[in-house]
This record gives sequence, C-alpha cells and structure tokens, in this order.
Amino acid sequence: MRYAIREMIGENCMTQQSGQQIYEMIYPRLQAGQSVELDFAGTKRFLSVFFNFAIGQLLRDIDPETLDRLLAVSNLSPVGQQAYDRVMENAKRYYSLDDERQRAFDAIILEQATLL
Amino acid sequence: MTFITQTSMTIILRVPTLNDSQPDCTRLFSLWQQLQNLESQEVIVDFSDCRFLRQNAVAFLGGLARLIQSRNGKVNFVWNTLQDDIRANLTQNGFIDIFDGTQRKWLGNSVPYREYRYEDMDAIASYLENCWLGRGWVQIDSASSDEIVQNALEVYSNAFEHSASQIGIFTCGQRYPNLGKLHLTVIDFGVGIPPNVRQFLNQPQKLAADALKWAFKLGNTTRANKISGGTGLNTLKQFVKQKSGTIEIYSHDGYALITSGQEIYQRSPAFFQGTLINITVKCDSPAYNSSESTLFY
Repeated sequence: MRYAIREMIGENCMTQQSGQQIYEMIYPRLQAGQSVELDFAGTKRFLSVFFNFAIGQLLRDIDPETLDRLLAVSNLSPVGQQAYDRVMENAKRYYSLDDERQRAFDAIILEQATLL
Repeated sequence: MTFITQTSMTIILRVPTLNDSQPDCTRLFSLWQQLQNLESQEVIVDFSDCRFLRQNAVAFLGGLARLIQSRNGKVNFVWNTLQDDIRANLTQNGFIDIFDGTQRKWLGNSVPYREYRYEDMDAIASYLENCWLGRGWVQIDSASSDEIVQNALEVYSNAFEHSASQIGIFTCGQRYPNLGKLHLTVIDFGVGIPPNVRQFLNQPQKLAADALKWAFKLGNTTRANKISGGTGLNTLKQFVKQKSGTIEIYSHDGYALITSGQEIYQRSPAFFQGTLINITVKCDSPAYNSSESTLFY
C-alpha cells in the first residue's frame, strides 16, 4: 500500500497531529505484516516531532528488522532524510530496551541527571 | 531596577534602552517581574527613556502586553514618546500596526514581529522562509535555506509542545547589515524548561542550569506516553555548533549559551518564568552552501 504524504497532510510534515494521523493509518497494516510505502514526493519541511509520531513510535511494537522489511520511504529530500535518519536512530535506541533494560536505562538517566 | 510608577488605577511602565546582552535581558525580566501581580489595571508604556530596542525586546514587550491583557488589564502604548528611529523600526516590523492599527507596516531592513496564539507551523515556516531568510539579503541556495528554516522551526515546535503558554509565542527578528548578522528571538510565557525537566525526572531540587543541559542531550525528552523524542533541541545544537552560530536561552532561573566553541549552562542572573531564545545567524556570506560552515557566527 502506497501513501502519498503530500495528498494526506500537505507539503509540511511538522506536527504531532499529522504524524499521529500517518501512524494510525499505517500501523494496522504493518502489524498485519503488509508492506507500506510512504511517498514524500512534493513535501518540503520536516520536524522531528512528526517523524517521532508517524514512524518512530512504530518501533514500540514492531522490531526494527521487520519495520525495515515492511516500510519503505521514498522521495524524501536530503533535509528530510537527514531528520528521518536521526529520529529513527534515536527511536531504535529508545525502543530497543526491554522492560528490565528500560528500567536500568531510566535509572542511568536519573543518575546522570543527578550528577549534572 | 524599578521601571514602574504605580497609582491606584494605572501603572506607568518606563521602557529602558534594551539591547540583547545579558544585562538587557535582566532588565526585560525585571519589567515582567514588576508586573506580575497586576489584575485589571491599565499599564501605560512610556518610551521616553528608551534609546534602542532590539528584536528580543520587541518580542518580549509584545508578549508582556498580551500577558497583561490576558489578566484583564489594559495596555496603552504612548507612541509619541518613541524616538524617531525606534518608531520607524516598530512601524517597519509591524509592532505598531498590531497594537494600534493606524500605521501600516513597511518592511525596510526589519523582520516582522509576529504573535502565534496557536501552533500554526505552516505560517511560521512561511514567516521564516519569506520574512527572515528570504528577503534577498542572504545569498543562499534552496537546500541550505530549508536546512536553516527547519532547524529554527524546531524551537517553535518545542515551545508549542512543552511550554503550555496560555498566550502563545512571540517572535521577532532583525537584520544588522553592518554586523552581517540575522537575529531571531522566540519567546513563550509558559512554564519554562527547568520545571518540565524537574517534574519529568521527579527531581524538584535539580538546578535550572543542569535541567537545561539535560534538555539538550540527545534522546532526552519530557514527552509523555512513551513516544520517542529528544532530537529537536539536540539537532539544533549540533547544527549551530557546526555552522558557528549562536543559541542563547533564558528559562526560569537557567541560562544557556551554545556556540561552536562552547556550551555554557549556568544560573540566570534574573528569573523569568517562560523561555526566551535568541538565535544569531551570519548573513554576509556571498554564497552559502549547506556543506560549508560559513553561515553562522
């Protein structure tokens, strides 16, 4: 299934709401093991909050390998690709932690925060 | 520093000369502090003592006026106390038009003053692209413009998501041709970054400077619902460092200065509940390419 992002939310991909809109459309398909293509042709601006809500949070329930296999992203501008890569790298790290490690990670964050 | 004279029904606010150094921001926050406990009063804004207003002061005064109005107060700008050059600037950037409606703006060298009550990122993107960068005074290719605007937009996005400002966000810019710089200020009158971090980490005693440092670290976010984040401010920081730009933040009792060579996080000399962010961009490069490090100071 191919989704034309510009037709769905316009040329700017910049808000939580538009990101959530994309997420809610593609999540059930990906969960069902179906392929999804997000076509960013004609889009112009991209903020990290959009990618975190649209795609980053998919990694909460879908492992990175499966997501890489099922989700294709096309026609992103270089600036958009840069933002996307940064968000996905961070999200993979964020969601890769299982519950136990998440607790340990949270403890480290707290400890770091205390030491600052 | 006292800038107000108060009677039972009115307060006269005497605006001093305001540049954008730390003492100037301290004076701005002093204005805010002295107007904190007002309810339903008239504030007369007198510019007789003012010899210069930078864009940060313009944005701050606009926000302060809206804050007073949101508390059922009335704001009366005494325009005839303005020096001619300041009046010209406030006319150019639309400030007088927004609060008075009788003097239409003209652009000149100014970047317009804007208020965004709600998160209208399309309008803000257009503002940055067309009014801040896209005035023909920066020779820049489209990809580089997109990169700069996208990074600046992260500041607005962050403010709308986290500040909980009841009166929105206030912004103004200015071009300084002799200095070869573009400045941009973004201000919210919300809850401030340190309280958000303290609440998220459940560390009420955390120093504001440490909270600001935490907020700029990759992967750190106060976003709820287990949705990843913590890339926006860090991206902006990396971008500015890479391009030799400057970010300066005042939030609550915290202060941060980020340049290509240093990151300083410390206690702010004056308390301001919201957040004020100054971004400085170099604009005298004959041609800027996103692969080069020539645009920002």
